[in-house]
This record gives sequence, structure tokens and C-alpha cells, in this order.
Amino acid sequence: MSALRISGGRVHDPANDVDGELHDVCIDGGKVVAEVGPDARRIDARGMVVMPGGVDIHAHIAGPKVNAARRLSFELRRDDVEACAGALRSGTGGLVPSTFATGYRYSLLGYTTVVEAAAPPLAARHVLSELRDTPMIDKAFLVLMGNNQVLFELIRESRGAVSPALRDAVAWWLEATGGYGVKLVNPGGVELWKQNNGYVDSLDDQVAGFAVTPRQVLEAIGGAVDELGLPHPVHVHANNLGVAGNADTTLETMRTLSGRRAHFAHLQFHCYGGKPGGRLRSRAPELLDYLGGHPELTADVGQVMFGEAMTTTADAHVSAVLRDLSGGKWINHDTEVETGCGIVPYSYRARNYVHALQWGIGLELFLLGRDPWQVMLSTDHPNGGSFLAYPKLIRLLMDRGFREEQISRANQRAIRETALLDGLDREYTLNEVAIVTRAAPARRLGLRDKGHLGIGADADVTIYHDRADREEMFATPRYVIKGGELAVEEGELRRADDGLLLSSRAAFDPEVSRVLEPLFGERYTVAFAHYPVRDPALREPARIVEAGS
Amino acid sequence: MPDPGPVTCAGCALLCDDVTIEPSGDGVRLEPPCPLGAQWFSERARRPASAPAATIRGQAAGVEAALNRAAELLRGARRPLIYGFDGATVEDARAAVALADRLGALVVPGGLAGAWPGAPALPLRGASSATLGEIRDRSQVVVIWREDPLTSHPRLLERLGFVDGSADGSPRRAWRGTRTLVVLDDRDTATAARADLRLRWARERDLEALTCLRAMQRGVAARSSDLGDALGGLLERLGEVPHAAFVYGPALSSGAGGQRRALALHELVRALCGDRHVVTLALPSAAGATGAEDVLTWQTGYCGSVDLAGGHPELVTATRPLMADEGVDVSLCIEGGLSPAPAGVAEIALGSLPARGDAEVSIHTAAAGVEATGTAHRLDGVPLALQAPLARDAPSAAALLARLLAEIER
Repeated sequence: MSALRISGGRVHDPANDVDGELHDVCIDGGKVVAEVGPDARRIDARGMVVMPGGVDIHAHIAGPKVNAARRLSFELRRDDVEACAGALRSGTGGLVPSTFATGYRYSLLGYTTVVEAAAPPLAARHVLSELRDTPMIDKAFLVLMGNNQVLFELIRESRGAVSPALRDAVAWWLEATGGYGVKLVNPGGVELWKQNNGYVDSLDDQVAGFAVTPRQVLEAIGGAVDELGLPHPVHVHANNLGVAGNADTTLETMRTLSGRRAHFAHLQFHCYGGKPGGRLRSRAPELLDYLGGHPELTADVGQVMFGEAMTTTADAHVSAVLRDLSGGKWINHDTEVETGCGIVPYSYRARNYVHALQWGIGLELFLLGRDPWQVMLSTDHPNGGSFLAYPKLIRLLMDRGFREEQISRANQRAIRETALLDGLDREYTLNEVAIVTRAAPARRLGLRDKGHLGIGADADVTIYHDRADREEMFATPRYVIKGGELAVEEGELRRADDGLLLSSRAAFDPEVSRVLEPLFGERYTVAFAHYPVRDPALREPARIVEAGS
Repeated sequence: MPDPGPVTCAGCALLCDDVTIEPSGDGVRLEPPCPLGAQWFSERARRPASAPAATIRGQAAGVEAALNRAAELLRGARRPLIYGFDGATVEDARAAVALADRLGALVVPGGLAGAWPGAPALPLRGASSATLGEIRDRSQVVVIWREDPLTSHPRLLERLGFVDGSADGSPRRAWRGTRTLVVLDDRDTATAARADLRLRWARERDLEALTCLRAMQRGVAARSSDLGDALGGLLERLGEVPHAAFVYGPALSSGAGGQRRALALHELVRALCGDRHVVTLALPSAAGATGAEDVLTWQTGYCGSVDLAGGHPELVTATRPLMADEGVDVSLCIEGGLSPAPAGVAEIALGSLPARGDAEVSIHTAAAGVEATGTAHRLDGVPLALQAPLARDAPSAAALLARLLAEIER
């Protein structure tokens, strides 16, 4: 890796309290360094904006669920192709791009690290295989544990406490799969869906057959993640997604986890007032207030963007509701012992009351939140919209005039239910954009080498033309540097790079196998000995982030 | 033979991973017993050390020479075709699609012989499905639609909890009592003999039957159909339970009208899901089929046959076998049954079993699951590791394909 000096750019590196200062960024050996020699290659960044590479804390880019969504959206990719050229592979785009296209398009957008937010551990080999075919970006995946029958047994035995066996089991699962963090999706509720199309009303509902409650699952697994010191806290998709009145559930989930670190996924979908079955309204301000008082909690927004989307979730009950609403395509897939999966193509329309309200609530979360380090940017790709919509979303945050024009096109009855017409004139600064798109996600993921440009950081850097049209600016970076090498220049990919798999590791007592093996034998149709992924070809090249480091 | 412990058997798409193997005569015995698995292991374990590593026009040749010849053919091909994948690993399929991308080849995940599978139904409306364990633990009624898994996937019923002719009585199973195995088939098969309820009608009437079932499920009487009683009995069984599964395969979804029949089944299941949990399980026969389709989907975005001739993926929607229609001049068969090719098509075969003698180039590959490790996707999508209990020096198909690609790019 050659030495490089990025000179004269306006640097936005909020993790190091650098807010638009003119200074050089030096790179050598794939890292940011204090200085490079006179022979170093130079990029003249005068008049440009320099930021760390983007970090997406919550997206769906790989695994059987995403692949099924690709199958389901074949008609959207015919006119959206990537050609095979040089070392670059061909692919197709649409809402759920093929793997190579996913890597290329994230890179072209200035993103250098992406987290697949929901992987069934039983499918780890599949997820890892896809991630190997997703180039240009470093990537990690979160392991679904919120409806795992084996963990339910351990939680029942410990009566909801964090037992050593449970803690060891969580660490074992991460080691067995190569995962980075722990994801809870509708804890307890997916098992109820698979049992009898059921759902969770309250966090204290019993999961039939297991005598555990969603609250116990949250406390026990969230606590185990915290005690293990995993780099990323438990990542929660709360119960009752999309249901009117679900803000009560979300607040109760926050209270249950308060005092522990936790990250709430796509908070927009969990901010609703009203009565179940009735009209939605916004309760985003209440949730933001609660978050504001609890710095140990963070969230990503899950912004809805008007247009086509592909809902892909482990929360299969939600998909059944959307199936009935849309009458269109629907995939359901039940994975033994662990989770479910639902996929429905969906269209968010500006004139539709519910969709406009969802859109407005997302903007409320961004604009009313006091601390951008706590509320991060996502569209829950592809659930709220494609990651390719990020530049437009950034413009909505940075450009009040554009936002007001967009607001005027949306369902006004819905907009009046939000704070968007209350003189909300906030415009994000470039530094705030740098926080919500790279610094905060990297910090929350515990990726100390990412999301900043301090000495020793990974040399993942994005350089933008400082354009007045912020959508255009963030859609087409002038340069993207990944691991110290030029990856993108003026909208063209310059090299093909595999990217790293990011995994985390926590110590555990190997004797936990004696506890797990009989529970596996009863439940799984896969042998316990064959469950862990051991093939180095699937797990490398990797960077392991040790718990507690 | 060293004791490798339990291994994964790639003899069919069930990929049972609890299998122990031991020598038996000139073959291999499996525990739990499975005739298909034993035959599959035996055929691959039996390969004599003196067998040529490669052939060119039927004559023994070195691997290097054969690779060079294959590269020469593919470089000069106007319309290359890559197909097969019956015994391919995920790694093989990844390498094959990479090669196809560079060549601008047509990729067909499956064999070319037999009935043309047609375009898959799933992308049009979706499906409800589940892994084996979900069906075993929850489905009280399992309907086998015109397949004979006791022959094609010998341990399927056992793995779905139907043990020794009766339901597995494990107290943990949600159904905890009697289950019903329904078999629809007008043939007297081994599976049909195990049925608790048999349904019989000709295959030509499947679409009619599915349409009637859907109508009856909606409360509309199937006025003109003489199948009414049989269908009513099936609906009654399904109506009594909260969980059910339909198991189907090529007999439903392949050949003329296959897509419509499969769509009708998925529509019925979707309707039944309104007030209960109903899933389907597809039965591909080959161990490599699901993995190859998954790889093709994630690398190109499309499932089914994909054409890369334009420099990017395009879905092939032809309704007839491709080789004759598309002007194919060079075909590369990977770990599959080599299909008879029209005159003028130069054939290259990479496989763990001897290829037909008239292939232009044939290179022996290590059999995944016997001589080489790898990853395969079970018929329900669960990815599994393949072990190498009889590891030998032969290269894997993935390794050969990577060398071919390097040679072509040189």
C-alpha cells in the first residue's frame, strides 16, 4: 500500500473534534498516519470535503432472506445492470442488488463498512459465502438470537437472569458463526408466529411451551451481551413493529434495557401512537426524550423514502400483515429453532396518510433529536428504501427549502400530525452528517479503527466536491479511499477489493458444549458437531474485534 | 478407511449430516442405512488409482494439457454454455459463475436432459416454506404431491418425524399425537404405501385439482369436478390442524404447465395461511441444485437460467431446452450428468465420475463430500459443510475452474 497525502481539504472528523478544518490527511500502510514522505502520492482536495468512509450500522445485504428478496424482484433489475469489465464482475441492481453490485454501489456512495443486521445463525455459511462475494466494503453481520429455542431453555432455567451458561452460549454462537453482534427481532414474537400465527401483546406475555417472556429475553440476552463486553451492544428490533400504539412497547423495551447498552433498530417503525387497528400518530418526541435521558441507548432511524421498497424481515408476522395489505408477492420462511422470515415488495406513497406519517416521523427523529451521536442514519435498506436513497435523505436533513418542498407534496393530514410544520428549521451541518453516517455508527459498533481520521484509523476516506446540491454531492464522491487504496474516482470504480469480514469474539467456557449439545440434538436437524463454521475460506480475510478491548 | 466420524452425505438433496460410513465389500455401508447414499459413496470411493486424471477425445491426458485444451475451446467459443451442478459445491458454483461472467456464457443450473424445468414460479408470487425441523416439529398433516421420496430422498420421511410407519412420539413435538401422511399419486410407490390417506388422479388433472381446492377453500363448490370428494377430504384434514406442509417436486413444477401448477399450489398455500400455518418444501433431486441456484441468484440477481452474453446478467425465459435453440458451440458440464449434445457442440466435462467417452475434454475432480470438502445447501436452504472422509489429491471443480479462468484471462 503506497503512501498518500490528501492535501488542502476541509476535514470533517467529528470523533476527533475536527469540524471543517483545512488540513492534510496522511495515509500509509492502510492507516492514517501523522506524516508521509515527499514522495507520497498526493490528492489535491482543495475546495473539497473530506470525511471518514461511511459506516452503515443497519442494512440487509446478504443471506437467505436477502437472496429470496432478489428472486422476488427480478422485474426491477432488467434495466439496472453492472457490466463485467476488467476485474469488476457483472451484476444487477434494483432494490436488492446482486452481491457484487451491492459492494460496488456502496463504495460509489462513499461507504466503506456495512453491517448485515439480521442473519439466522443456522444460515451462517450462506451469509458468509455471500459476503465473500460482496466486494469493496468491510462487512459484519448480526446473529439472530431473540427467538432461539435453545436460548429460551437457558433463560427459563435461569428465570430470566444472566446465567454463566447463557453468557457462554451467546459467546459460543458468535464464535460458531463468525458473527459480529447479537440481534433480537420481536423477541418471543417470532416463535409465537411460527406456533400459531400469534404475536406479542405485552412484554410479559408468555411464549407458549417455553415459559419465558419477551422481557426476560431482552433482559437475559441484553445482559449477557453487556457482561461479555461485546463491542456492539444488543441490537433490538422491538416487538409490535408497525402497529399503532407501539410506542408504549418501545418505551417499555427501553426501560427494560436501560442501564445496559442497547441499540434500537429502525426506530421510526416503533414510534407510533394511536390504538391498535386505529389511525397512527407520531410519538417520536416522547421516544427522543427518553433516549436523551439515557445515553447508554442509541438508535438508527429506518427512514421511509417515497417510492418502491422491499420489506425483508425476520419478523414474519409483519410480512403477513403487509401481504394482506398489498395483495402482492409474499415469501414466508420458517427456520427451525431460531427465527422466521418474511418478504413483501412495498410502495411508499407521498399521498398515503400512513406512509407520509412514517416519512415525517423519520424526519422528526433526525430533526428533533438533540444528540446526533444517539440517532443514526439508515433506511433499514431495503425496508424503508434503498441505501441509494441516502444522498436524498441527507439533502432532506441539510436543505430546509428542499425539505419544505417535499413536505408540501406529502399527505398534509399526516404531516400535521408531526412537528414538521412547527417551524422546524434545523438544517444538518456537514459535521452532523459525518456523525450520523460514519462517526456515530462506528463508535456504536465498537469499531475503533473506523469512522474517524485520527492517527491509526483505517485509511477509509471519502472526499466530496463541496456542492450546494447536497444530494448530488453525497451521491457522487470525488474520491473514495478504502484501506489506503484509491477505490473510486469521479464515479468510477478504480479497483476490485475483497474487503474484510469483521467478527467479534468473547471468551467462553468450552464446557458450554455439554449443555448445548443435548438441546441441539432434540431440536435441530443439523448435527451439533457440524453446526460451527470452521472453514477458513468462509471466515477470512477477517478482523476479529475482541470483547472488552 | 479411517473413521471420519459422522459426515454429510451428498447422495441426494437431503444432505443428511449424521452419517457414518464403513467399507462393505467393494462399496460402502452407511449408518443410518440409505441405499441411495451407499451407492453414491461407493461409486466415488471405487475409482481406481490408475484411472486417467483427464482425457482429450477419450485419450488419457495430463490435467494441464486438458485445461489448456478446455481454455482454448472456451476462448474461441461463440456461444458457451455452463450447466450441470448436480454434485457441485457452493464454491464450485461461485467459480463457475465467475468464469461464465468472463466468457459471457449462458448458465443453466441443472441438467439439460429430460423435461425442461421452465421458469420458476416463486418469483411471480412468492411461497411459504420451512426447514425440515419446522415441518417435523409442527406440521400435523404432510401432503406429498406426486413424489416418491422413499426412493428419491430415502430418509425424508424419517427426517420429517415419520418413523417406522408411525409418527415420532417425542413429547416435545407440537403435534404430540397422530399425524397424517397424505400422498397424492396415481402410481403405487413406496411412499404411497406408507400413506395414511391416499389420493389418486392423473397428473394431467393436477392444475384442475389445485384450482378446485382453492375454490373449495374459498367456499365455492367445485361443481363439475369428480374430484370433489377426494379434495373435500383433504381440505377437511387440513382444516383440522394449525400446521400443515406440502412436499412437491419436479412432477408438479416441471415440464409443460409446470409453472402454472406450481403457482396454483403456492396460491392455495397462501390462502390456507390466512388462518393457519402452512408451508411447502420443494424436492430437488441433486445435492448441488439448491446451492447452485442460490449462488446464481446472489451473483446475478436472477434464479433460473441466466445469460451473460451481453456483458451483464439477463434472465432467460425460454420455454424449451436451450442448447439447440441458442447456437451453443461449446458446453462445460460441472459435476453433472453430461447431456447428449447436438452435433458440432464441443463438450468439456469436469466431474468426479467418468464422463462419456465422446467428450472433447474430461477432467476428473475430487468428489465433494468424499474426496474434497466444501459447502452445500440442503433442499430447504440450510447450508452444510461437506467433509472429505476419503481425501485424495484430485483437484476440486472450483480449483479447476479458477485455473481455467486464469488461463483464459492470461
